[in-house]
Amino acid sequence: MKWVTLAFLMALVGLFAYVSADLPDRADSSAPANESHLTSEFIERTEEQIEIPNIVSAILADFRSYDTLGETFVIFTAGLAVLLVFQRGYGRNDD
Amino acid sequence: MTERHDSIILHFVSRVFMVPFILVFGIYVLIHGEASPGGGFQAGAIVASGIVLGRLTLGSDHSENRFPISLLIWLSSLGVGIYVVAGVIPMLFGGNYLDYNELPVLWFNNVAEHARTARAMGIFIVEIGVFIAVLSTLVILYDYLTLRVQDDD
Repeated sequence: MKWVTLAFLMALVGLFAYVSADLPDRADSSAPANESHLTSEFIERTEEQIEIPNIVSAILADFRSYDTLGETFVIFTAGLAVLLVFQRGYGRNDD
Repeated sequence: MTERHDSIILHFVSRVFMVPFILVFGIYVLIHGEASPGGGFQAGAIVASGIVLGRLTLGSDHSENRFPISLLIWLSSLGVGIYVVAGVIPMLFGGNYLDYNELPVLWFNNVAEHARTARAMGIFIVEIGVFIAVLSTLVILYDYLTLRVQDDD
């Protein structure tokens, strides 16, 4: 069974190595992700309207702030769920 | 509930070097989130790891004096609340939800004598909310998942 896992993982490594040859270079301006019309828009608007150097923060917390609000609620809900599930045993020695 | 480890080397290294460094680094990542990689999520995770390290080495009994579970539950709600309120306040001043342009924070430029746009400050306020929420939620997760259930017998 160990050898099956090893063979599977080696096959995955080979697949990833083969595929990675086709990936675009870092900071390649003609990469598919950079050819979207949104890219230049975000870069320009961050400089003009927000004036902070980190474009990622600008997108995350300003242009896409609804998304970040949802993420925060997801984490908050996870905390609440763990709290509700595990709270039962808490303080049971008081009974 | 984690046990206290009675090793002086462990206590010295974690209390004097590791935990303070991790906490300060987390605050740094939060404050520098606008200029360098970082932000509320990452800073919250780093600071939470510092607190969890304190709980692991010093034991939950000692560490919970500083960050009790009841406080953390309040804090996580407060963090989400900061985000939501930062979204609602612009609506009172004629903007859309989460439209930081309408946030009444430009007076802060006169105090700090440093020109920043309202949207940059809105981003920072929101990051603080995310930071508090993530930090306290992660510590809540640790505390409840390591709770020792008292046996009845």
